[in-house]
Amino acid sequence: MKTKKKVSVVTALTLSAALLLSACNSESSSSKPEEKEGKLEEKIVIYSPHGKDILSKFEQQFEQKYNIDVEWLDMGSQEVLDRVRSEKNNPQADVWWGAPSTSFDQAKDEGLLKPYEPKYAAALDEGFHDPDWHWSGTSQTPEVIMYNSKKVTKEEAPKDWDELLDPKWKDKIIIRYPLASGTMRTIFSAMIYRDFKNSNEPAKGYEWLEKLDANTKEYSANPEMMYSKVAKGEGVLSVWAMPDVVMLKENKNYPFEFIIPESGTPVLTEGIAVVKDAPHPKAAEAFYEFVNTPEAAKILAEEFYRIPTRNDVKDLPKWITDTEIKSMDIDWQVFQKESDKWMQHWDENIKSGDKEIKE
Amino acid sequence: MMKNRDNRLTLLLLIPVILVLIAYVLYPSLRTFFESLQKDGSITFGNYQDFFTQASKTNLEALWNSVYISLLSVLASALIGIPLAFVFNRYDFPGRSFFSTAAIMPIVLPSLVGVMAFMFLYGETGLVPNAIKDLFGLEKVPFKIGGISGILVVHAYTMYVYFYMTVSSAIHKIDPSLEEAAYNLGASKSKVFWKVTFPLLTPAIVAASLLVFMISMASFSAPFLLAGGFRVLSLQIYFSKINGDMEIAATQSVILSIVSISFLLFMRWYQNRKDYRMASKGIGAHRSEVKNPFIKWTMVMIGMVGVIILLLPHFTILLLSLVPDGTWTWQTYPTIFNFENYRLLFEDPNILKPLKNSLLLSVIATAGNLVFGVLTSYLLVKRKFVGKSLVDILVMIPWALPATVIGMNLVFAFNEPSIFTFGNILVGTFWILPLAYFIRHIPLIVRSTNAVLEQLDDSIEEASRSLGAKWFYTFRKVILPIIMPGVLSGTLLAFVESVGEFPTSVLLYTISNRPISIEIMNQLRMANMGQAAAYGMIQIVIIAVVLFISNKFFGVKAEQSLS
Repeated sequence: MKTKKKVSVVTALTLSAALLLSACNSESSSSKPEEKEGKLEEKIVIYSPHGKDILSKFEQQFEQKYNIDVEWLDMGSQEVLDRVRSEKNNPQADVWWGAPSTSFDQAKDEGLLKPYEPKYAAALDEGFHDPDWHWSGTSQTPEVIMYNSKKVTKEEAPKDWDELLDPKWKDKIIIRYPLASGTMRTIFSAMIYRDFKNSNEPAKGYEWLEKLDANTKEYSANPEMMYSKVAKGEGVLSVWAMPDVVMLKENKNYPFEFIIPESGTPVLTEGIAVVKDAPHPKAAEAFYEFVNTPEAAKILAEEFYRIPTRNDVKDLPKWITDTEIKSMDIDWQVFQKESDKWMQHWDENIKSGDKEIKE
Repeated sequence: MMKNRDNRLTLLLLIPVILVLIAYVLYPSLRTFFESLQKDGSITFGNYQDFFTQASKTNLEALWNSVYISLLSVLASALIGIPLAFVFNRYDFPGRSFFSTAAIMPIVLPSLVGVMAFMFLYGETGLVPNAIKDLFGLEKVPFKIGGISGILVVHAYTMYVYFYMTVSSAIHKIDPSLEEAAYNLGASKSKVFWKVTFPLLTPAIVAASLLVFMISMASFSAPFLLAGGFRVLSLQIYFSKINGDMEIAATQSVILSIVSISFLLFMRWYQNRKDYRMASKGIGAHRSEVKNPFIKWTMVMIGMVGVIILLLPHFTILLLSLVPDGTWTWQTYPTIFNFENYRLLFEDPNILKPLKNSLLLSVIATAGNLVFGVLTSYLLVKRKFVGKSLVDILVMIPWALPATVIGMNLVFAFNEPSIFTFGNILVGTFWILPLAYFIRHIPLIVRSTNAVLEQLDDSIEEASRSLGAKWFYTFRKVILPIIMPGVLSGTLLAFVESVGEFPTSVLLYTISNRPISIEIMNQLRMANMGQAAAYGMIQIVIIAVVLFISNKFFGVKAEQSLS
């Protein structure tokens, strides 16, 4: 018995030592940035909310072309911002790919980004990039009203934002808890901004959100819960980003359809940026260029339902050329300045506290 | 001379222990406290004032909700755990030992997917309510969980184990002659229970209550997935950090810590107040066999149903992992089953990375815990020195600190070079996570080691020393072998918990150490429920294998250190 125990302790120790050694090895071999002129570093780290499917695809292609190791971390855009912020003194990421332009503006103000003007600068219209090139746009994301196509017909579905307030939708709307979601923050802020731009007062918008809150059955803690609840008919409506809705419908077989609000909808620009003091700056620039070539933009449009920002992409899929998107006229500077305050007000004063407990 | 040498040895052993405690427990907490005093560049209590006087009272609401949910969780877990402990320890019926082993299944359930499983089971569109609805042709689902009720159900499920284990071990220690004496003196059954048995169990029940209270105050995964807009303090900290309001996050952390630490101190005070230990040892409880066949088989039936309920979440994860993504979206019941999710997982060349990371992180952290825990416990139990109770409290603090707070503390303390990290920045490196796991599990191993060391007679050590053995030799050859089983059970539990760890991981992980639980979160985010569940199954299997091997071959029961 005793010898057995001894053996086990020894094995455990050797095992842990071996694991430890291998850990040290992998670290030391990967953290030697090369300083040679014009040559890419051997590795690049990307933070992105784009998800495994997109990231794996571009990882493979990029690795094939440049023969450097691509590593990515996949998380929500608000979390990327938080992470880049907490790693400010010891940056781990090279490229931040994907987030609404407002998040990038915020990061820029906090001095987290490094300006870089891509070679394709001329193909980006004004508004699709930061004036000082701290970030540039890679795709456009219109926000839409999404509905369960098994429960609601196209005719019945609300055609515009204001129709969501109709009492007939009471307890039919499920909304992703907006505080942690860039998408929801944009939609809610846009609702306030509609009136704010003329009156400079958020009161009207708050009133609108209060009515929406009255129709809302539940705020779900994460998108997955929201998808599942709308799909199974616990609620039938939600508001969300168009590419996600199309992706769920086409690839994951969810019974979702969407409507682009008639009066216009906020169209986010999703962007890309180089992180300040990135450990692998050359590779970062190469990747930056790589994911927004016309070919890449076309892959993103065809396979991942992302609408490109470049104006020189040919042969776009039909769903892009056929969909008419009326974009809401938004001053993103105002948005960025005010939206934290608005959201806080919503959270503290508008959201009915017992909503999610209501059985 | 002898005495001097002994004191020197104590000091020598004490220095590393105190250094570690100061560097990784005390300093990070103080760092958070200082952060919370910062406001607009000056040092004030302004943030605290805001916390309590804020017009919308969201913070107070969150604090209140946390307390309220925790109280309900204590109640619910007690109502399940205490009767179970009685039934399994007092009565004997067919299948008893199998049922009592199954009762600890909740500790094998990984936190994130576990919570998802509950939604798929009992939510409005969940399997159980809908099956009942369809079976009886009801109009509406008979019941559903969500929001608060969801959090409560998950808490009761995962936390009743603490009541069950603590009360079970207390029942074991009760000297049956006490109860027999009362019966002989003519007391009725209920009188014996309330006047003799129950008072003997109170310390265990109070200890378990406080423990469950602290754990549910700190609970993160359940509110993270279920709360929606319902505010609890542990989640508010995370949101504040995500929003970039670091000072507010620090203030919330400090307040949550104060609540939890006061409970810890109260618990220690209570435990030291009265000595309830039994004078006689080794009597052991006797179980009365249930004779009445009707009651006997009813109990077996109830036991079976209980086991099924306990295992349902695990089965749900298994089920989810077998349903290919996209075939169970609007349908009430899944219809297609195959191994597609596992195929996808194993085709991915990166699949093994999170798995390897989780194991590596847990091994490093647990190895550190083992060495540090045994040393500290030895000092606390067998050595005399000034300031012992202070060290004792420092050791226990990570237990009271919610995981989110430990994560925050580390972020504040180590995102700048400090002497404790030899001038390195730890945030963003591989080592921050093993450190976090290590800190979280210090109390667990120290406590389980304390328990065995207290039973070790000092004369054994003295005998060895007086025969001329050096201290280290004595420690290695005499003390360690005796206490090893107790130590290992704590170590094992720490390991198992590290493998499933989520709340500090989500705050601190980096690309080089991303563990399984984070991979599961990302799969969930991309609506890949099936693959998330497949990962969850892998996690369950690892934990189960570790527990099984240790139990089978080394006779170590990890669950023992829960009590």
